[in-house]
Amino acid sequence: MNINWYLAVSALVFCIGAAGVLVRRNPLVILLCLELMLNAANLALIAFSRMHGNGDGQVFAVIVMVVAACEVCIGLGIVVAMYRRRLPIDVDEMRELHG
Amino acid sequence: MKHEAPNIDWAGLSPVIALLGGAIVVLLAGLLRSRLVRERAVPFLAIVAFGASLGLGIWQWGEDAQVFIAKGSQATLAFDELTLMVTFIVAVAGIATVLLSWRALAPREAAHGEFYALLLTSAAGMVAMAGAQNLVTLFLGLELLSVPLYVLCATEMRRERSLESGLKYLIIGSTGSAVFLYGLALIYGATGGTDLREIATGAAGEAGGDVLLLTGIGLTIVGLGFKASVAPFHQWTPDGYEGAPTPVTAFMAVATKAAAFGAMLRLLDVGLIDAQPDWAPLLAILATITIVVGNVGALGQSSLKRLLAWSSVAQAGYLLAGVVVASSLGVSATVFYLAVYTMMNLAAFAVIVARERETPWGDDIASVAGIGVSRPALAWPLTISMLSLAGLPATAGFIGKFYLIDAAVDGGYTWLGIVIVIGSMISLAYYLRVVAAMWMRAEVAAVSATAQPRLAGADPEAERPQWELYLVAIAAGAATIFFGVIPSPLFDLATAAGRSLGLL
Repeated sequence: MNINWYLAVSALVFCIGAAGVLVRRNPLVILLCLELMLNAANLALIAFSRMHGNGDGQVFAVIVMVVAACEVCIGLGIVVAMYRRRLPIDVDEMRELHG
Repeated sequence: MKHEAPNIDWAGLSPVIALLGGAIVVLLAGLLRSRLVRERAVPFLAIVAFGASLGLGIWQWGEDAQVFIAKGSQATLAFDELTLMVTFIVAVAGIATVLLSWRALAPREAAHGEFYALLLTSAAGMVAMAGAQNLVTLFLGLELLSVPLYVLCATEMRRERSLESGLKYLIIGSTGSAVFLYGLALIYGATGGTDLREIATGAAGEAGGDVLLLTGIGLTIVGLGFKASVAPFHQWTPDGYEGAPTPVTAFMAVATKAAAFGAMLRLLDVGLIDAQPDWAPLLAILATITIVVGNVGALGQSSLKRLLAWSSVAQAGYLLAGVVVASSLGVSATVFYLAVYTMMNLAAFAVIVARERETPWGDDIASVAGIGVSRPALAWPLTISMLSLAGLPATAGFIGKFYLIDAAVDGGYTWLGIVIVIGSMISLAYYLRVVAAMWMRAEVAAVSATAQPRLAGADPEAERPQWELYLVAIAAGAATIFFGVIPSPLFDLATAAGRSLGLL
């Protein structure tokens, strides 16, 4: 199969993720959209790895998965800390810092 | 197929091992029950780890160690002079940050061991990022530096602003990482390798024409721009800086910038050097936008941390000039300015921390009003720092800017040099406002309702100024003047770093 199809899907997923980060207001959904962006890159990496016939891209993709998990952990931790302080879980409501 | 373990140069890797080993020791020492151990020994151990990294870096100077060489490929980490200069900057910033946060609220809230362990881990990520010769290592270094910083921003968990700055930095920082990663994936696709030398060979044939490669370069620059707070990717900077605990802000401001620019220099000047005609104009335009946006944004700020955040955006623009030209002179100028920038900013942040503890004004400009009379030992370092950031002669900032403009003119970007000069002229307006407040206004005495209330549980002892804050402020201020008058020692180090990338 032509590599272009894989790249098209990957670019589409990346754009959906980026649009989600920009328009959604719930930090949890934003974290999901960040995952979409990272996984779009993973798809591209694996497709290229197959195209070039070397394993570098696959190794890269596995490492990205680990890193993505770490990022989400930190994000969820901060969301829980905000929830405990009864702060609104909505990025549009975060106006303490402005400018 | 038989796989052999890569050859690891332990001596070359030792600066990173000192940081990560230190993180583990600090984490374990933080578990001890004695209050004395937690509050005195843990910061001391963190300083020892940063100092060990600094010392091992000096020991490895000139060795050009190549670490992690797998069979048949290049080393993934290079400890050449550029990496070691970033190590020195990060270690000095780390020692200063530990001193600033010793009696601060943040480590008390987050537990001492964890706070300093995160700081050390982040520093290790910075060194790895600056030395990365492989896209995988580069991405890992970037994340290793970012993830602990997200947590550190949110460590004052009972303060709403700290949590908010942590979440904002996490979301925007992760978006930057994702864009950066997508760029790396496209570069890998276009050239077929993750190693910078392989990329350079792969890119040589098709520079200029390959859409995949050009898109990859663009996305990568955007991703690094997020980390180095280059406009228009700087929006997180003022909020992140203001909300984070001030010692953490100091570390974020200087060390992250050093690591991001170290990585940018290596990626662009080694891996993508043949595409320089494509990315140099783009970077030059970004530099111009950054200088204008940063300096104009700083004009109306009343919070010192926000002012320094906008000023750091402007400084990122000046630093980009050294990256644009892709010459050995440009690399030296960038490294020199990064070192100078570290000293200037540390002096300013030490004074801000001291005044935050003494006055109810937080980081508002009112907190430094009149300290020229009441606290000259704090007023002088802040004055030197502000004048140096503005680039007045006899300060290190002047030499650094002079060097950057020299590199820009030498590389055929004379107009960028002029933009730097104009930017510095605008910047005088807000830097001198701080100086005027210190020396010409009376101290604001009355406690007003707008002042931030002190959090319950804060150490009453922390309200008095402490010797370690004076030490950091005066040492950084003195270094700024010293390297402004006698720049040659730093100049020699920067020149060595400039030669290490093998550019003309």
